[in-house]
Amino acid sequence: MPDSAHDGLHRRLVEALGAGAVKTEPEDLAVYSFDAYTGGGTPAAVVLPASTREVSAVVKIARDCGQPIVARGAGTGLCGGAVPVAGGVVIGTSRMNGVLEVDVRNRRARVGPGLINLDLSRAVRSDGLFYAPDPASQKTSTIGGNIATNAGGPHCLSYGTTVNHVLGLEIVDAEGEVTTTSVDDYGYDLTAVLTGSEGTLGIVTSAWVRLQRLPEAVGVWVAAFGDIESASEAVSSIIAAGIVPTALEMMDRVIAGAVEAAFKAGYPTDAAAVLLIEQAGYADDIAACERAIAAIAKQHGAVSWRSARTQAERDALWAGRKGAAGATGRIAPNYYTQDVCVPRSKLPAALRVVEQTAREYDLTIGNVFHAGDGNLHPLMMYDRRDRRQVAAVVEGGNAILQAAIDLGGTISGEHGIGYEKRDAMTRVYSTEDLATMGRVRDVFDPHRSLNPEKIFPAGTRCAEMVPPPQ
Amino acid sequence: MNDSERAAPVDEAELSTLLGGADRDGRAVRITGGNTLAGMGARPPVDLEILTTTIAGVIDFEPDDLTVAVLAGTRLSELATSLAERRQMLPFDAPLATKATVGGALAAGWRGPRRHVYGPPRDWVIGSHVVLADGTVARAGGMVVKNVAGYDLSRLYVGSFGTLSVLVRANLKTLAVPERTRAFFAALPDGSLERTIAQLRDLRVVPAAAFWFDGFSAADDRPAGDDGRLAIFLEGSTALVDRAGLELRSALGRGGVPATHVLDNRAPAALERIVNAYVSALGQRSISYRIGSLPSEAIAAAEAAAECARRFDLRHERIVDLMNGDTILRVSELDVRRLAACMKDFDDALHRELPNAIVIACEHPGRDTLQLWGREPAAIATMRALKRRFDPNNVLNPGRFVGGI
Repeated sequence: MPDSAHDGLHRRLVEALGAGAVKTEPEDLAVYSFDAYTGGGTPAAVVLPASTREVSAVVKIARDCGQPIVARGAGTGLCGGAVPVAGGVVIGTSRMNGVLEVDVRNRRARVGPGLINLDLSRAVRSDGLFYAPDPASQKTSTIGGNIATNAGGPHCLSYGTTVNHVLGLEIVDAEGEVTTTSVDDYGYDLTAVLTGSEGTLGIVTSAWVRLQRLPEAVGVWVAAFGDIESASEAVSSIIAAGIVPTALEMMDRVIAGAVEAAFKAGYPTDAAAVLLIEQAGYADDIAACERAIAAIAKQHGAVSWRSARTQAERDALWAGRKGAAGATGRIAPNYYTQDVCVPRSKLPAALRVVEQTAREYDLTIGNVFHAGDGNLHPLMMYDRRDRRQVAAVVEGGNAILQAAIDLGGTISGEHGIGYEKRDAMTRVYSTEDLATMGRVRDVFDPHRSLNPEKIFPAGTRCAEMVPPPQ
Repeated sequence: MNDSERAAPVDEAELSTLLGGADRDGRAVRITGGNTLAGMGARPPVDLEILTTTIAGVIDFEPDDLTVAVLAGTRLSELATSLAERRQMLPFDAPLATKATVGGALAAGWRGPRRHVYGPPRDWVIGSHVVLADGTVARAGGMVVKNVAGYDLSRLYVGSFGTLSVLVRANLKTLAVPERTRAFFAALPDGSLERTIAQLRDLRVVPAAAFWFDGFSAADDRPAGDDGRLAIFLEGSTALVDRAGLELRSALGRGGVPATHVLDNRAPAALERIVNAYVSALGQRSISYRIGSLPSEAIAAAEAAAECARRFDLRHERIVDLMNGDTILRVSELDVRRLAACMKDFDDALHRELPNAIVIACEHPGRDTLQLWGREPAAIATMRALKRRFDPNNVLNPGRFVGGI
């Protein structure tokens, strides 16, 4: 899009924010047409405001100029949520990255939306606290982006997803006005509905979040299985026994091999499936928890059980787990992560479908996922230069999505709907269900100027996306 | 208001027909579950009262998934009994569980004393079926424990006091019953309160609940010291509770508390009794407030509340939830007419000091003149707009909620 078409917009944005905070050059704009899903649409401008007041000014200017708004954290989203499909002004939150207040006594902090997730835990560690939600992207993704997608992560099995940890929000609404919400207020729980709304209801400009005490003790264990079915049955049995560990992750041979090649993290590479289990809590309980889970694993034919003895061993196992997707670069140049969630007792059935899909579409699919939540992440590996493989990934991904729905599951456990899955929304919700969500949208964003073309299915598409998912 | 027509629909379809009709005719509807939290919010007259207690039953308990689907009119105690058969539970801690319904506890967004450990009720809801004011049947969420497909309307409905929709079915996560719950009761000698609370703050094992009482013998009638009395609940494995109990007793000793009384098997019942007291009214002679504050400021808030009651020469009793920072203040006056004469001034004075105080139990006829919801939230305009969009004819529980919603 030529600059000249947006001269008025650019001039006003520069007046409000200063030239250093406004990007208008085509090469800069191109960078912001992508997130970790794919690209599509070119923004009219990108702004990097430093304050709530500046965000408010930008929204008002964009509204005057008839431009939509797309809020963006680190761009690590996997479903096109930050892609400016309809153009408009991208608001990057990277300069609003402060830890603004820490209230150690009441275990809470107020942060800017651009704060990197892991930086918060680092900032409060010396106070004996941490921030629980830990998406695999936590070294780069932002708290604001995490709030927009209601991000999960391995440890949300027992700690809960982002929404359980947000205590209040300051947002700039579609009119550019500033509003605050608090879970302590009586009234509608706007904090809850804003969390996970993918930037379609408001732009978070600061957030009060809950901090937790660092656990007194942590146990991390690795169980290996001869086949993936046994491992998934073990997971179902652990949950059925009422044991909800802090984390309960599974990876198959494909992923464990790639992880070991990349990180030497300490996973067995000869097993068909590996469980990574963590229990954090009080010292008295860790040993008993290990005994209970190990017994269940053995009942389901675990071939080995290992306890990480040192913090270094635990860290290495987790670094391998969180780097798993990247490690697949050794297997194929591209991968696509599907994100579906099924009832936990349906895990074995869901994994059978994944295996069958790999065979049917002749694909390499690695499994690395939050087994305890029933949240699958089949990683479908391919080479985007090969049209057959690309088509197979699209169709295979779709088959897994449908299978999850048929098993009573949902189309996204933690990554979001964004642009990618908006048309699949009709497969899990009725017209009335979606219209009810639309009523909420009507209140916050009647003109659909906040992150348009996301979440809600559309008959017509406003921009060409680059196919396929990468 | 007692003359309104009553209806008890047996299922979602009947409820939909009833609401759709009322909406067309512009008839105001009150939604009633167990009526246990009727002390919250205003009671303007309505044309039709809809009881939800006939839409009841545990319909899909999946113990192996730690999930349950339950109809809204189900009593909390019935749900608890079903879950207990598989040693599972829900930590809502809403009062009067044998009468209260799941729908009512969720509509009220009840804030129980163990929520600092387990989270509030909204964090246990994974899906819902509701009927909107115009009769539309809508679902949100599902039966999976992680779900980010679209807006989280289930959480929006929790705490909305039936003003956006009527809940028909809730899908909930469950959890395993802790192996052990142990309660510790102690009388606090003069001057020991502050030191004791400082000791509790530093406990390595966080109590599941901790209360300070001043009066409120309905909650706990054990003897009090000059600084009132404490009840502390520990939960978890037997090994953990054994150790935590030892640490707690030495902490209390350092705080100046000479003796503790311990309950094991009857600890859950003791917790229920305390929560029941939150909403217990003394006929028309009392007003109970809930005052929220940060845990670090709870005792100061409770003191400010008592000071205010003293100025009006009102008898006052308090329960302070030390872990979450809630104060329950019950003021009472034997002479109902004297209460009538001063309640408005007292309410104003209390809100000047503690603007977020809300009324949670009051049967005095003048109750609706009080600031029942305390200070309006900052986002009240958005909340009103949501109400208009969901219920344009203002049919569902009109006027009951915050800001006249």
